[in-house]
Amino acid sequence: MSLSLGEEQEELRLLVRTFLDDKATSHRPPPPGTGPQKYDGGLWRQLSGQLGLTGLAVPERFGGAGLGPAELGVVLEEMGRALFPSPFFATAVLAGQTVTHCGDEAAMERWLPDIVSGALTATLATAEPDGSWAADPPATVADRGRDGWVLSGTKTYVVDGHTADLLLVTARCPDGVGLFGVPATAPGLTRTVLDALDPTRPLARIRLGATPASRIGTGDASESLAAVRDLVRAALAAEQVGGAAACLDMAVGHAKTREQFGRPIGSFQAIKHKCAQLLVEVECARSAARFAGSVVGSPGTEAAIAAAVARSYCSEAFTHAAKENIQIHGGIGFTWEHRAHLYLRRAKSSELLFGTPREERARLARLTMSEGAAP
Amino acid sequence: MTTASALPRTPEPLDVFRSRLRDFLTGHGPGRRPRDPEERFAWTRAWQATLFDHGFAGPSWPEEYGGMDLPFAHQVVYQEELARARVPGPVGTGLGIAAPTIIKYGTDEQRRRWLPSMLRGDTVWAQGYSEPEAGSDLPGLRTTARRDGDTYVVNGQKVWTSHAARADVFFTLVRTGTRASRQRGITYLVVDAHAPGVDVRPLRDLTGGHLFAEVFFDDVRVPVADRVGEENGGWPLVRTSLGHERAAGAMNQAATYRRVLGELRQLLAERGALEDTEVRDRMADFEIRARIMHYNGQRTISDILTHGEPGPVSSVSRLHISQFEQDIHEFAVDVLGPAGLLGPGSEEAVQRGRWLYGFLRTRASTIGAGTAEIQRNTLAEQVLGLPRDPGMPSV
Repeated sequence: MSLSLGEEQEELRLLVRTFLDDKATSHRPPPPGTGPQKYDGGLWRQLSGQLGLTGLAVPERFGGAGLGPAELGVVLEEMGRALFPSPFFATAVLAGQTVTHCGDEAAMERWLPDIVSGALTATLATAEPDGSWAADPPATVADRGRDGWVLSGTKTYVVDGHTADLLLVTARCPDGVGLFGVPATAPGLTRTVLDALDPTRPLARIRLGATPASRIGTGDASESLAAVRDLVRAALAAEQVGGAAACLDMAVGHAKTREQFGRPIGSFQAIKHKCAQLLVEVECARSAARFAGSVVGSPGTEAAIAAAVARSYCSEAFTHAAKENIQIHGGIGFTWEHRAHLYLRRAKSSELLFGTPREERARLARLTMSEGAAP
Repeated sequence: MTTASALPRTPEPLDVFRSRLRDFLTGHGPGRRPRDPEERFAWTRAWQATLFDHGFAGPSWPEEYGGMDLPFAHQVVYQEELARARVPGPVGTGLGIAAPTIIKYGTDEQRRRWLPSMLRGDTVWAQGYSEPEAGSDLPGLRTTARRDGDTYVVNGQKVWTSHAARADVFFTLVRTGTRASRQRGITYLVVDAHAPGVDVRPLRDLTGGHLFAEVFFDDVRVPVADRVGEENGGWPLVRTSLGHERAAGAMNQAATYRRVLGELRQLLAERGALEDTEVRDRMADFEIRARIMHYNGQRTISDILTHGEPGPVSSVSRLHISQFEQDIHEFAVDVLGPAGLLGPGSEEAVQRGRWLYGFLRTRASTIGAGTAEIQRNTLAEQVLGLPRDPGMPSV
């Protein structure tokens, strides 16, 4: 297994980097209190339909490129670096991977081509007010009415939940955890933007009151959702690596040019050692994310282990890098106008959503420390 | 060193090589590690001779000096199999540090004279670089070598020399230029440890053992023929490495620490400590760091195979490893509580005090072979491109 980028992956990385450098890096933080940052619809159409990024890990028969988590990781690392506000993570990763791996051909046929083209934005709504991402069994219930399934309950911490066209919702069914597709315009559905830390990754609360929904697949979806969660973990870890690397780059760039006591502050060991420690963590994080990207999606516990390793380490590495970046910038790093705090917001947000480092370590302990686990 | 072979040859398929090596390791393995230090030294040395005699020594070395001249991918397999078989590493620091310099910069005569006996373990090589006044600031070293006909007369003192008490040879850096010449006045000299005027005085390290020694040179006469490279040209030879053998060796280290972690997990499970949430959390964290050590090694190898160069991750591995080995030993001692305080002299000691010893020994992990602070300076300046401290002499 290679943990280096191959030629085509390197090309993909350059393509995304160039696109984001050209189009997306000039954005400034929105004024405080104005809610989440709006994404640029024109850019969205370019990166989906034109560059084909939303279809990267979608099978070719639905118009995708048929690539896998490793390539998704390449794209996410670049997006994390640019802190690119877009529905990509929700649409292509959360929803796109859920549909791709749901085993329901009709559902795939119905939604994947539109995800690939960029015509449809979507998200996955699993978490409930108790905060648990897995929410197994969910408190949201699905009932079979006269005209089909209806859902009732509350989903929250839903990424891009206020803008997504399609919501994939988990609910308790007589035969286990069911997965459902709900159009945002469905009756009985209300959505509220949450006042969340990270303006570049909006969160919403979704209330469902006897909302009609279409079932995806049959029987208990727990197992396929668990596999999807590992794919999401690996993708998010790659995004965190990009964010951490951007913080290190910013810190180093500032330390090279900012002068105090008549010399660049980067010539002082106190600053050098902070940067060197971040480099250690960024490179270790990158190794972990690459490894996870190369094994998730294949059966066995190795994928779950690698995903837990990557998420725990990359979460802490990114948050550490974001904090040190602000510290190295000094006063300017504490201003709203400087982008440093946006990285801190994204870092903490991605650290606590989808499983905290502590929860990932508890999961890893279960996977590796049970009796008979190989050393 | 693929350049040494005159004719290109088809390398043995990896799986064939692996099973041949595994068969050898199963059939000729060195057996249990003796506890007594003297016996352990003899045992390690005998194993090195066994490897050599069966053509399984020096994976990266040219064949003419007894090496295997393996392609890089085979070197990785070699290290994986040796780690799996839990065989001891080589005696002394010659193989890892001196040999690459001699292979690249020595004369034919020197290579023939020194390398095979070093590889077989017949001569033990130890490094004489650091001095009392030249630790992190190695270019300030003061041991002098004065030319007198075809010999150098060496005077001075080296310190922190590992394996010095058993060494047959010291590979040293000495000053042949003026004191102010710093790294431009340093020569690489190989000194016979048994020559008149060489005095080795073991130092007790903080574990209570003798990991290193002071070495005094008093008018020691060294033939000019034992100089490697040019006079005053020693500094650039110091950090020579042979192909990417260190990257392959890193896999061996990663495997070792996966095993250490497994042993700690088993110990804690036996003592019921794994029920504790905090302990599980810390152990999971070590699991993560140990696995990342492995991924780092794998990524370095992938980078070498894909791009021909080890890439940025290889430069951070050492800091990651040294932090890990300090932390895991201290954690083990902490979890054991008062029982963690006991050494092998008490029968109640847990596993003969191995974790306590490790806790003490690994203080050296962030000091020896370049302190962690110097490594961070190097990363900051050479990888991240941060400016030098203007108060530091240029190296």
